[in-house]
Amino acid sequence: MASHGVARPATTILRSAEELQAEQAEIREYQDLENRIQANIAARNYTVEVLELTSKLLKKNPEYYTIWNVRRRLLIYGLFSKSSDSSSPSKGSQSTSPIVTTQTSSIPSSASALGTLKALDATQLDPESPNHGKNGTILDIIRADLEFLFPIMIKYPKCYWLWNYRLWLLQQANERLDPGITRGLWEREMILVGKMLVKDSRNFHGWGYRRKVVSELESEKLHGRSMVEPEFEYTTKMIHGQNGLSNFSAWHRRSKLIPRLLEERNADDATRRHFLKDEFDLVISAMYTDSYPYAQSAWFYYQFLMTTLTEYIGHATITPNFTQVGRIEYVGCQLSILKEMLDGAEDCKWIYDALVEYTMTLARMEERELCEGEREDCKLWLVELSKLDVLRTGRWDDLGLIFSKSP
Amino acid sequence: MSLASGPGVAGSLSLPEELQLAIEPHVKYIQSLDSRRDELEYWLTEHLRLNGLYWGLTALHLLGRPDALPRDQTIQFVLSCQHENGGFGAAPGHDAHLLYTCSAIQILAMIDAFDVLDEKGKGEGGGREGVGKYISSLQNQTTGTFAGDEWGEEDTRFIYTALNALSLLSMLDIVNVDRAVEYIISCENFDGGYGVSPAAESHSGQIFACLGALSIANRMDTVNVDKLGRWLSERQVEAGGLNGRPEKQEDVCYSWWVASSLTMIHKLHWIDGKKLTNFILKCQDPKEGGFADRPGDMVDVFHTCFGVAGLALLEFPGLEEIDAR
Repeated sequence: MASHGVARPATTILRSAEELQAEQAEIREYQDLENRIQANIAARNYTVEVLELTSKLLKKNPEYYTIWNVRRRLLIYGLFSKSSDSSSPSKGSQSTSPIVTTQTSSIPSSASALGTLKALDATQLDPESPNHGKNGTILDIIRADLEFLFPIMIKYPKCYWLWNYRLWLLQQANERLDPGITRGLWEREMILVGKMLVKDSRNFHGWGYRRKVVSELESEKLHGRSMVEPEFEYTTKMIHGQNGLSNFSAWHRRSKLIPRLLEERNADDATRRHFLKDEFDLVISAMYTDSYPYAQSAWFYYQFLMTTLTEYIGHATITPNFTQVGRIEYVGCQLSILKEMLDGAEDCKWIYDALVEYTMTLARMEERELCEGEREDCKLWLVELSKLDVLRTGRWDDLGLIFSKSP
Repeated sequence: MSLASGPGVAGSLSLPEELQLAIEPHVKYIQSLDSRRDELEYWLTEHLRLNGLYWGLTALHLLGRPDALPRDQTIQFVLSCQHENGGFGAAPGHDAHLLYTCSAIQILAMIDAFDVLDEKGKGEGGGREGVGKYISSLQNQTTGTFAGDEWGEEDTRFIYTALNALSLLSMLDIVNVDRAVEYIISCENFDGGYGVSPAAESHSGQIFACLGALSIANRMDTVNVDKLGRWLSERQVEAGGLNGRPEKQEDVCYSWWVASSLTMIHKLHWIDGKKLTNFILKCQDPKEGGFADRPGDMVDVFHTCFGVAGLALLEFPGLEEIDAR
């Protein structure tokens, strides 16, 4: 939306005659640009000049999704087929578009792949060179477009269409270029998305894009292999970074990587048990620093770790070979730790919330009713919760109903 | 319908203790939106025109003024956004996309104009069928999810928009609902929430979309109500407003995404409705009309719709009842 977090200027918008005039001129210029693009597309002028017009418009308004689509058509139906590394005009559909690869038996010989490699070298040597020049290769065009996008993405990091268009461009590279070259493009995306996440470590477009880039780089077609280790490292780095403990996006990503990480490490039972302990230590120490112990991100990650013990069937698990007795013991230990945490943090509602939840869970795992002591504890914790967290009184009241029933 | 923000600003006047809903200014604000063609922002937001019309019209219906925009012009504008393939774009000349197609169908349903669509609509077979075929063509037959348009972007929002529009058209049977449901289930996270795709972080907007789709598919049985209810109730912050994800800022639009999600799982009472009501009311400009994301910011029609919808959900007096389930 145009006005998320837009504070109003102190003075009301009373514009002078000149300002009003300037705005009208701007509107005319904008509409003129729009009309010129539409007229050119209607006449099927899929040229560099028209591409430049779309660049101009999209810099003013990157939310204009139709113009991103125009740009896609300009490339597919025009510039890719006119590029110096294509030998025949495209008939329009992607499958008939010239594909530069050493692996298909159609055109491109290894010679043309070499040519593209040279182009890559040239563009790397001269950062100024990528442009949408008439005789550029497909690689040149894609690289130039990726570079065109970057400053706009920095300016509008939450614009869906920008991220989509960027992915589409790279998918075009997948289809049209040699995997060795395409891989280089995707590798650069890791740097880009790293920068975007430094700017805003919670940008969910950024995290989503990162997952896609990683899965491409891991793919067989790009001769990839697993990146689960460095990605896991990345979440550790993010969590330890500024405000990292409150970075639920990083915690979440971590929760998704763990099962695969352990699988790929061929972790045995002892290693897995150790790993789980380390994760509990990490999240609990996170609770003890920063805004301890009130930041909810760490508490949700704590919930994830507990879930791997309490709801392991059909869910992510860290210690699949734990016996039921072992799990019950572990949950019991966590309950003791939580009770200890209360010391000095009597005003932390998260601890009471967890105590109530896992006391009930423990009874469920042991297939028994709550004992009288547990029931009384839970009631007391709920009294604290009702005092500390009045916003969610309705929830505490609902929970209270469970304990008020006679055993 | 202008998507330009302002001119009003939320909570600019000193508000009385007992906050009121400024119904008349809000109606006037929405009515005035299409007369702002002298502002550059009016043109820069053309890609949201049809959504804007839906947001404005929904707010007007909830405010008890369904006739405040001219019906004929509304129908005419909506139909002018339709393409030969049956889909709708944001405005005439803008490409077809599921997001706008859903808005178009929602508007036509709201003003009871499917007969005009049947008479004048485009797409294969024309009328409702033409739109239905466009939507069903976007379903991924393997995974069950939907693409937003011909370029293939996938997002759980599109499952909701597809099923919502098809359900309004009484054409749910032309897509594979079971497979769409399976896809949504694959997007569920340990916290009970849903993201844009499998493995994506839970997000209140996506949760609304996924629950909405499950509700339409009559598959709310698949939801982990206690976990999701817990996560959603933790979206309420001290100021009374709701945020979209843990430790993010509150925003009026989540008054709808979160509160309607809580309603769908029968847990709206897990947050403080009175505090939320007060927060929403503080986000209005009682003089010029409209709502902003937060007090002190510029108003716009998107936040106006979801502010009013949030209030209606909380049964604020003077507003039409809303059934989020």
